Amino acid sequence: MSALSAESTVRVANTGESLAVELRGVTKTYGSGSTSVHALRGVDLEVKKSELVMLVGPSGCGKTTLVSIISGVLGADSGVAKLFGIDWSTLGNEQQTLRRGELVGFVFQQFNLIPTLSIIENVSVPLLIRGVREREALERAAAALTSVELGDRTKSLPSQLSGGQQQRVAIARALVGEPRLIVCDEPTASLDGHTGQVVMDLIKDTARSRTDENHRRCVIVVTHDTRIFHYADRIVEMEDGRLKKTLSQHTREEAAHVPRFAEESPSPAEASKP
Amino acid sequence: MRLPLRADCGWAKGDSGANALGGMYKIALRMLLRDRGKYLALVCGLSFATLLIAQQGSIFLGLVLRSTGVLQNVGQPDLWVVDPSTRYILETRPVGEQFVGRVRSVPGVAWAEPMFSNYANVEFADGTFKRVQLIGIDRTTLIGQPPEMVEGSLEDLRAPDTVLVEESSRPKLNNAKIGDVLRLNDKRAVIVGFCRAKLGFESNAIVYTTFDNAVRFTPVGRERVTFILVGVKPDADRTAVAADIGKFTGLGAFTPEEMSRRTIGFILYETGIGINFGITVLLGFVVGLAVTAAIFYQFTLENLRHFAVLKAMGTRNSVLVRMVLLQAGVVGMIGFGIGCGPAGIFTILGRKPGAELAPYFPWQLLALTLVGMMICIGLGSLLSLRRVITLEPAVVFK
Repeated sequence: MSALSAESTVRVANTGESLAVELRGVTKTYGSGSTSVHALRGVDLEVKKSELVMLVGPSGCGKTTLVSIISGVLGADSGVAKLFGIDWSTLGNEQQTLRRGELVGFVFQQFNLIPTLSIIENVSVPLLIRGVREREALERAAAALTSVELGDRTKSLPSQLSGGQQQRVAIARALVGEPRLIVCDEPTASLDGHTGQVVMDLIKDTARSRTDENHRRCVIVVTHDTRIFHYADRIVEMEDGRLKKTLSQHTREEAAHVPRFAEESPSPAEASKP
Repeated sequence: MRLPLRADCGWAKGDSGANALGGMYKIALRMLLRDRGKYLALVCGLSFATLLIAQQGSIFLGLVLRSTGVLQNVGQPDLWVVDPSTRYILETRPVGEQFVGRVRSVPGVAWAEPMFSNYANVEFADGTFKRVQLIGIDRTTLIGQPPEMVEGSLEDLRAPDTVLVEESSRPKLNNAKIGDVLRLNDKRAVIVGFCRAKLGFESNAIVYTTFDNAVRFTPVGRERVTFILVGVKPDADRTAVAADIGKFTGLGAFTPEEMSRRTIGFILYETGIGINFGITVLLGFVVGLAVTAAIFYQFTLENLRHFAVLKAMGTRNSVLVRMVLLQAGVVGMIGFGIGCGPAGIFTILGRKPGAELAPYFPWQLLALTLVGMMICIGLGSLLSLRRVITLEPAVVFK
């Protein structure tokens, strides 16, 4: 049996928490002394289970640090960081790793596919990590690739695919293990406008593929790409390690009057224009 | 677009850890074997390191073993009786012939025969000369005879002024043939045959003759017996007989193994060969180590980002460690196997009769090389593993 027991898995599933992410006073500093950099300066954030939240802000404002802490790949210096009710700070490294594998799927800007593995093998990796038998893992990976319209390229190597196709593989890999949180770091930054829209459609569709709202996936997207803002349920703007502004879908309509967002965030109709 | 939903994945259901490892081991092997450029570089580097360690080791062993050539050529005796202060088979102090009789009288001794060993010069018509190792054996029993006759008859050695020449030494003696007359220490010596025997440490040509001829070819005074070769009665204890010989004659009686150890010890510790060649072998090992460790470390470094991604996706450190060790073990074994090939060929070629190089490649050296390789690859892995274990999965976002 894997180190993460079935019992703990059930406990997570039954927490009844409505929040996927809960951050209270999270701080993070890199380095020390005069060269230290305060990446996060007391961040409070809540993200609901089925929300698609975009983190925006200038480079160096702490977006990546924030998602790293949310997804458990980085520890906070102080404050509380909970994912589906689990406080990361209460877990040891090994438990954090296992929880992360269970709860979080990643989509990276640079795709981070293993170049020597075929795309079906790449997609099967999260399942193999969890101990799923190889044959079953490959079957499920093939199905996942079919769902991102790459079912006919399963034997291809990542280098034989375009950037958009590679990102679709990465999405299939992120979703194949049924994670409850999908963290996307600049998923469209390496893609052209049209492909970026296709990828975001895919992320949104797959995240929302479940009819039961309680079991929909939470998606957090770090991005600079204004063309995809309209996919967000909520946009959280960061600046200098703090949350500066939060705009929900509803308030974004009102935010048309706010010069910056009005300029940056096109309406879905505008965004879909070629 | 909908993904297939499976909430009951093996992990949650409690699939065995072996499944997880099996799948991840395959991933590790694919990462290794499909990156052909790096894989070939790794295997080539490890093969070279293996070759270096094995080949240098085999030359060293061959050289050391060569010093016991005289011992290896004589299979019959249970004991070698010599002056007790003898340290090396070719550094002896002869004893008088009366000692042969004394040794024969020791209880447990079945037979004892004298043997002569010394250097002599063969002079050629053009005025040049060659130094040869002259071995004199008992004319009646021919105990101490060469291991194998190649041409001619051993019995012909009983004729006056006759000699046998070690086969591979023919070129050193102007391609001598049966019937040729050698001018041996200014005496006439007729070649009556050729034999095969191990050359000594100095690779001099070996010339066999009878004990009486030998002392005539190389006058050494009253004390003319270099070794007394002793056979022990079947029911006697060799060690006890050796002790008795020492007690009754004042000479040293050694088993062939003891004599070999003395000789090898002398070469290793009393000459510069041990330290000089030891340094060469050590350098080969260190170079092999450095090459192996550096190549493997580089390989892991280049895969570090992929390991970070695996870690971010939930792969435990212990699994990553096993993946790296598996990769190390596989390239180590393949590199070892390939490297042993040329080392083996080198040994086979080097052991041809008369070859000046005499590499010796026993299974112990093979095992030692394997251990050495595993140490090399283990150290390389340790360096790599340190990076993998301390790897922050957050680097995947950079």
